[in-house]
Amino acid sequence: MTSVGTGYDLSNSVFSPDGRNFQVEYASKAVENGSTTVGLKCKDGVVFGVEKIIANKLLVPGKNRKIQTIDRHIGCCYSGLIPDGKHLVNRGREEATNFRNTYGKPIPVSAMSERLSQYVQAYTLYNSVRPFGISTIFGGVLKTENGGDNKPELFMLDPNGSCWGYKGIATGKGRQTAKAELEKLITSETFDFSTLSAKQAVEEVARIIYLAHEDNKDKDFELELSWCSLSETNGFHKYVPEEVYNEAVENAKSAVGLADSDESGEEDMEVDAQ
Amino acid sequence: MSPQHGSQPIQHQFNPYSDNGGTLLGIAGEDFAILASDTRQSVDYSINTRLSHKIKVISPPVTKEMKLESTDIVGTKNSVLFGTNGFSADGDALTKAFEENWKWYVHDQNSNVETGFEFLNENNEEKESFMSMQSAARNVQHLLYGKRFFPYYVHTILAGLDEEGKGCVYSFDPVGSYEREQCRVGGAGASLIMPFLDNQVNFKNQYIPGTNSTERRKIEYLSLDECLKLVKDAFTSVTERHITVGDGLEIFIIDKNGVRSEYHALKKD
Amino acid sequence: MNHDPYSWGRPSDAMYGQYNNAIANAPNTLEHHSSGSNFNENTTRPIVTGTSVIAIKYKTGVVIAADNLASYGSLLRFQGIERLHKVGKTTVVGISGDVSDMQHLLTILDQLEMENNYDNDEYSDNVDELQPSYIFEYLANLMYHRRSKMNPLWNALIVSGVDSKTGKPFLEYVNLLGVKYASPSIATGFGSHLAIPLLRKLADSEEEAAELTLEQAKKGIKDSMKVLFYRDTRSSKNYSLAVIDKDTGIAYDNNVDVEDMSWKFAKDITGYGTQRV
Repeated sequence: MTSVGTGYDLSNSVFSPDGRNFQVEYASKAVENGSTTVGLKCKDGVVFGVEKIIANKLLVPGKNRKIQTIDRHIGCCYSGLIPDGKHLVNRGREEATNFRNTYGKPIPVSAMSERLSQYVQAYTLYNSVRPFGISTIFGGVLKTENGGDNKPELFMLDPNGSCWGYKGIATGKGRQTAKAELEKLITSETFDFSTLSAKQAVEEVARIIYLAHEDNKDKDFELELSWCSLSETNGFHKYVPEEVYNEAVENAKSAVGLADSDESGEEDMEVDAQ
Repeated sequence: MSPQHGSQPIQHQFNPYSDNGGTLLGIAGEDFAILASDTRQSVDYSINTRLSHKIKVISPPVTKEMKLESTDIVGTKNSVLFGTNGFSADGDALTKAFEENWKWYVHDQNSNVETGFEFLNENNEEKESFMSMQSAARNVQHLLYGKRFFPYYVHTILAGLDEEGKGCVYSFDPVGSYEREQCRVGGAGASLIMPFLDNQVNFKNQYIPGTNSTERRKIEYLSLDECLKLVKDAFTSVTERHITVGDGLEIFIIDKNGVRSEYHALKKD
Repeated sequence: MNHDPYSWGRPSDAMYGQYNNAIANAPNTLEHHSSGSNFNENTTRPIVTGTSVIAIKYKTGVVIAADNLASYGSLLRFQGIERLHKVGKTTVVGISGDVSDMQHLLTILDQLEMENNYDNDEYSDNVDELQPSYIFEYLANLMYHRRSKMNPLWNALIVSGVDSKTGKPFLEYVNLLGVKYASPSIATGFGSHLAIPLLRKLADSEEEAAELTLEQAKKGIKDSMKVLFYRDTRSSKNYSLAVIDKDTGIAYDNNVDVEDMSWKFAKDITGYGTQRV
C-alpha cells in the first residue's frame, strides 16, 4: 500500500501515475474477507455453494438465504458486501425481464454476463460512485426448448467489471484452498466433465467448502447449496433437496475428518427449512 | 354529417359502463338504521351471479365482549354501512376507495392509541374515534365529484348512527349531490319502491280520518320490526315486477349494539 | 451536449423561409411529438378472438374448459391456440376475447409468477405462493384500471383454482369493464347463454356445488362444450379441459374432442339457406 496517502486512492475516475484505480482495488479487499463461495459446472448444469458464517447466535438457522435466483434458470451467489450483491441481483432480474420482453425467450447466461459486467464496470468510471464490493459467481443452463443450447455456463464477475467463464471457481476468504481443490479435481486424469453428475458436483462443492473452512475453524458456519441442472431440476435454479443436502454434508464432514461431530447447525437448518 | 361525406371517419367508441341491475334500500329509525339490497348481479338478460354483495360493513374491530352479547354481530355501532348500486365495477371501486379513506381517517385521528394524557379528560367524555356519518357522507361526495367528468355510475347509500346515536341514511347521485334522508331506494327498483316508502315511512298522502283530507297524519318513527316488514315486502314485490331484482335479500341493521345481518331468499326466476 | 436531434436547431427563417410543419406532420414543438391525429388509437374492437370459457366448482375443486380456436371474424383463423393457462401451482386462468390482449396478459402473468418465485422456493417454510385469489385480485384491478383509461383489454377472464392453504375451490370472473363476480358456475360469451342453464341445473348454489362429484362436474362441462359446438359458429370441436383439485393438483388435457354428437336434428331445420321446404 505504498500509494496510500498520495491522494490517488480517494476517488474513482482518477488513475494513479502508475495506471491503477485504487478504489477498485480496495473494493476487492472487501471481497477477500467475504464468505467463501464456490461454483462448479457439471455435465448438465451448475452447482453453487456458500459458506455462511454465523455472525450471531440469534440468527434463525436456515433463514437469511444468500444464494439467489436471477432468472428461473440462473443462480447467483457472491462474497463481499451483501447489500451490493442484492442490488446487483435486482439489476440482473431487470435485465432478464427486459430481455424476455424484447426477444420472447429467457436470457442466455452469457448475455446476462455481458449486461451485468457492463453495469458493474460503469461503477468504476465516476467519482460520484463507489465500485461494487463483491465478486459474483453466477451461472445456469438454458434448455434448447427455451432457445438455449442445453450447455451449462458459469461466470465470475469482479468489482472492476471483468467477467470470465469458468469450469469451476471460488471467491471469498477461503478462495485459495477452494481454487486449489477445484484445480486438483478438474486436472486429475480420471476427471471428465461429460460424466460429472449434478449430485457428484454437489458432493464436491460441499467438500471443498468444508475444506476451505479449515482455516477459519473458530467460527461456526452454515452451508448453503443450490443447483441448476437439466436432469435434476429441469433447468430451474433451486436449492438442493434435503436428502441430497444431508448426504453431501455427511460426506464432506468425513472427508475433512469431522464425521458426526458436534456441528449440528446444518441439520437444524434443514429441519427448520422444511 | 352523414358518413358518405367522408371527411370524418365514423368512430366506434368503447362504452366503459354497464348496468348490473339490482336494488338498494336504506331506512333510518329513531335509534337504528337499515341498509338492504338484493344479491343478484345481472347484465342485459343474463344473471351473472345469484350471490353478490353490494353492501359493505365498514367497521372498527369487533371485540370479544361484543361477540359475547350477541354472536351474530358483524360490526360495531361506529360502523358505516356502505351500499352502491348501478355499474358494479364502479361500485366496487368506490367502496374500496372509501374504505381506504375511512382507515386513514382512523389512523390520522390516532384514535385507538392510549396517550397517557387520558387524565386530562376530566368529564370522561368518550373520545371521537371513528368517522362520523356526517364526515363519511362529505368524504363520499368528494370521491364522487372528483370523477365529475367520468363519473362512478352508481347510486350510493350510507346508513349508520349519527353523533347523537340516531339512525341516519345518506343518499348520493352519481356525481356526489347528497342529502340526509329518512329513507331512500336506489337502483332498478327505485321507481317501484320509493313511492311505497314515501307513503309508509314518511306518511305521504296520509290524512287523519274525518278531517276531509285537510290534516296530515303526523310523522313518527317506525319500530325496527315495522321497518323490516316494509323492507321484506318491498323486495318481494319488486322481485315480482322487475327482472333484474331477485335471488336473495341481504339486510344489515345497525343500532347501539352494533351491526347484524339477515339473509332471506327471493325468487330466482 | 444535448443529444436530442430536436435541439440541434433548424435553418434560419431568414435564409430559407419558414419551416413547413405540414410536411410529414412534422412536430412544431420540442415538447410533444404529437401523433398528428386527434383520434385515440386504443382498442375499440377485438380482432382475433377466442370464444367462450366455461367452468364449474365441485366438492374439492374446479373444472374449466375452453376450445383451442382463434377466429378472425367468421374465419377460423388459428387452431391449436390454448386459452387455459396455468399460473402458479393451483390456478388456471381461462381467457376469452381478443387473442393479442390475451398474449399481453400472459406475459404479465409470467412476470407475476416469476417475481413471486424469487423469494418463495419450495424448500423454505415461509412460502406465500400465488393463490387463485391473489391472481384474480391482480387481474381485476388491471382490467378496471385499463377500462378507466378508456384503453381496455378486450377480454373476459375466468380465474379458477383451489387455495393451497385452505383447500377451498375458487372461481371468479372479470371482464373488460372490470365487472367481477363469483358463482358456482361461470361462463363467458355464448357460454353464459348456452352453458350456464345446464351448469346451474347441476349446482345453483355454493351448497349444491359442495356436493357435486368430479365426474358430475366433468360431464356437465363436456355436455356444455358439445352444446356450444352445436350452436356457436365460432367454436371448435377440439378443446382444452383442466381440473384443479385440492388433493391431486392440476390435471390439464389440451386435446379433448367433443364426443357423442348427433346431427340428426339438422335435416329437420328448415327456413333458411338453400333449402326448399
